[in-house]
Amino acid sequence: MQWTVRLGFRPMQVFAALLMAKGQMTKLAPVDVLILALYFALVVFIGFYAKGKANTSEDFFLAGREMTAWIAGLSFVSANLGSLELMGWAGAAYQYGILATHWYWIGAIPAMLFLGIVMMPFYYISKTHSVPGYLQLRFGEGARGLSAISFGIMTILMSGVNMYAMAVVMQTVLGWNISFSIWVGAATVALYVMLGGLRSAIINEVLQFVLIWAGAAMIPILGLIEAGGWTNLKAQIAVNVGRSDYTHLWSTLGSFKDNPMGVHWTGIVFGLGFVISFGYWTTDFLVVQRVLSANNLRAAKMAPIIGAAFKMAVPFIVIVPGLLALAVLKNPDGSVMHLVPASVAAVTGQHSYDDVLPLMLIRYCGPGLLGLGITALVAGFMSGMAGNVSAFSTVWTYDIYGAFINKKASDKHYVAMGRWSTVIGMLVSVGTAYLVMNANSIMDYVQALFTFFIAPLFGTVILGMLWKRATHAGGFWGLLAGTVSSIGMFIWTHSDPGALRYIALSPDAKPMAENLYRGLWSWLICVGITVIVSMMTAPVPAEQLGGLVYGVTPIPHDGSKTLWQKPIFWAIVVITVFFILNLMLW
Amino acid sequence: MNDKRDVETAELSIWFFCGILMLAYGVVLIATGIFEYHNPPPNEILLPWLNALHPTLWWGVVMTVFGGFYTVRFWPRHKLF
Repeated sequence: MQWTVRLGFRPMQVFAALLMAKGQMTKLAPVDVLILALYFALVVFIGFYAKGKANTSEDFFLAGREMTAWIAGLSFVSANLGSLELMGWAGAAYQYGILATHWYWIGAIPAMLFLGIVMMPFYYISKTHSVPGYLQLRFGEGARGLSAISFGIMTILMSGVNMYAMAVVMQTVLGWNISFSIWVGAATVALYVMLGGLRSAIINEVLQFVLIWAGAAMIPILGLIEAGGWTNLKAQIAVNVGRSDYTHLWSTLGSFKDNPMGVHWTGIVFGLGFVISFGYWTTDFLVVQRVLSANNLRAAKMAPIIGAAFKMAVPFIVIVPGLLALAVLKNPDGSVMHLVPASVAAVTGQHSYDDVLPLMLIRYCGPGLLGLGITALVAGFMSGMAGNVSAFSTVWTYDIYGAFINKKASDKHYVAMGRWSTVIGMLVSVGTAYLVMNANSIMDYVQALFTFFIAPLFGTVILGMLWKRATHAGGFWGLLAGTVSSIGMFIWTHSDPGALRYIALSPDAKPMAENLYRGLWSWLICVGITVIVSMMTAPVPAEQLGGLVYGVTPIPHDGSKTLWQKPIFWAIVVITVFFILNLMLW
Repeated sequence: MNDKRDVETAELSIWFFCGILMLAYGVVLIATGIFEYHNPPPNEILLPWLNALHPTLWWGVVMTVFGGFYTVRFWPRHKLF
């Protein structure tokens, strides 16, 4: 599921804002309906087409491991590019300015490159089917069981949250009935994932990536024309907002007080850029599964690098519209339109921060282009659901059912189990969607649960890959301690908001800083406990660590011959562009 | 080996799916854009500067070129069914 959602980022505000909106924003013309119908028709066709290629478990759960670097890379980045995230971060850009870009750049690029260059060889040559599967090989059944069960439950719940999100957006923007959206979305996704497995999900994710660009690119293009270019846009924002710190990435991060987000550069660099980002991009099976489908080691290493290059471009269609709204949105009387927090919008009837993307879409896009934009949003929601449910079905079948319930079934039986778990998982998701509809606060807790596991899991996996002295007991207790400490800090800060000053080390810290520092502490606790327990227990014999740990594993050559084929070369190109962009927007 | 290659080339490429959908959307947008040339939609009346740009028409052209290229480039070369 989406990156921001897994960070626990302001989901309640997004939903509250949408639920409280007065009436629908626009309606579709016949040409828009035609565009949406063409998309649904193709998606269902892809499901039936991919069914013929999903006969073995390797086919169904890992797309036959025959995806090229480009397809695995686009699918990798697309699995994270959900509609809720697009709308949430466009709103964040309006609220906090260009600082929101950190979640796309330092919060993603270094981790994606690290996955490709350092970690992918171990995931790939160990021939594991999943991240919990790697933990089983490295740390035994305890660590696998803990991560598989937590991942399985959370993934399927997140699918339900995504489903509900789509229904609310469709109701708000177009006035559609919530149950209609939930059931149509669920049935379509269940059909194409059940039929074609991961291959079907990947094809749709690549399609969704292209669609999102086709549907959203007109907003920044036309917006920048209206604003008179980037320089004029910055000047207009400074006039409208009355301050000039909305368009600087780093220069305002010296103090919690100097920027609208209330964060410090240490939280951004170490909390977001290191722990949370690395935790998500290198150990969350939802995204790693896409790379495991690559057809050879070089493709597996190149896929995250290609994904990183495209990820760097995403702020153009997400952050720029939020900034443009600060400059160009006007009330009917010609005065500057001010979007407000959801709680204020509920009282005043104004639009909230999270309405930015639909507002900008409606502003620039007439019939046809509007249908394309709405289709891109629908595609984003559906591929988010498909990503969750396909990852759930893999972890359930391999790491729970196949590991603890029925170890000796035939391959055909596991494929059937994969199909059934897809359908049942989707029904549970529908149940979750209705649960969330009746008790919105549940969603915050569901999303927070993800943040409990991501940071400590990165500690366990990275020590497992880089430190041969880490033992089974060390891995299990470290993961457990990191997770429990994260839950403890969450409960502490939610029962006593004053606790944030201790977690974030500053009385000026704002809630946005909580996730960053909680992730950092839980990772440190996980690493500390893993090291201590490992030193107190007998080391794992070196012969059991082959293919799993640096130092005892000969890394096979990836087959690249020329400089242009080498993943490390392209990783250097991407990181260089990353630094240049950060310096340009310093 | 040859049999395997034949089977692979008979598959529908992911890029073909992308191309055919973009091509279809491009054609729909061009038709809409031509219609809107003399009947501007509400947002172009609200923002008169948009009127001269014809975004629907030009975006339709871009998508038709993009989609057409991928459709032709990845058109399945063997009998499919």
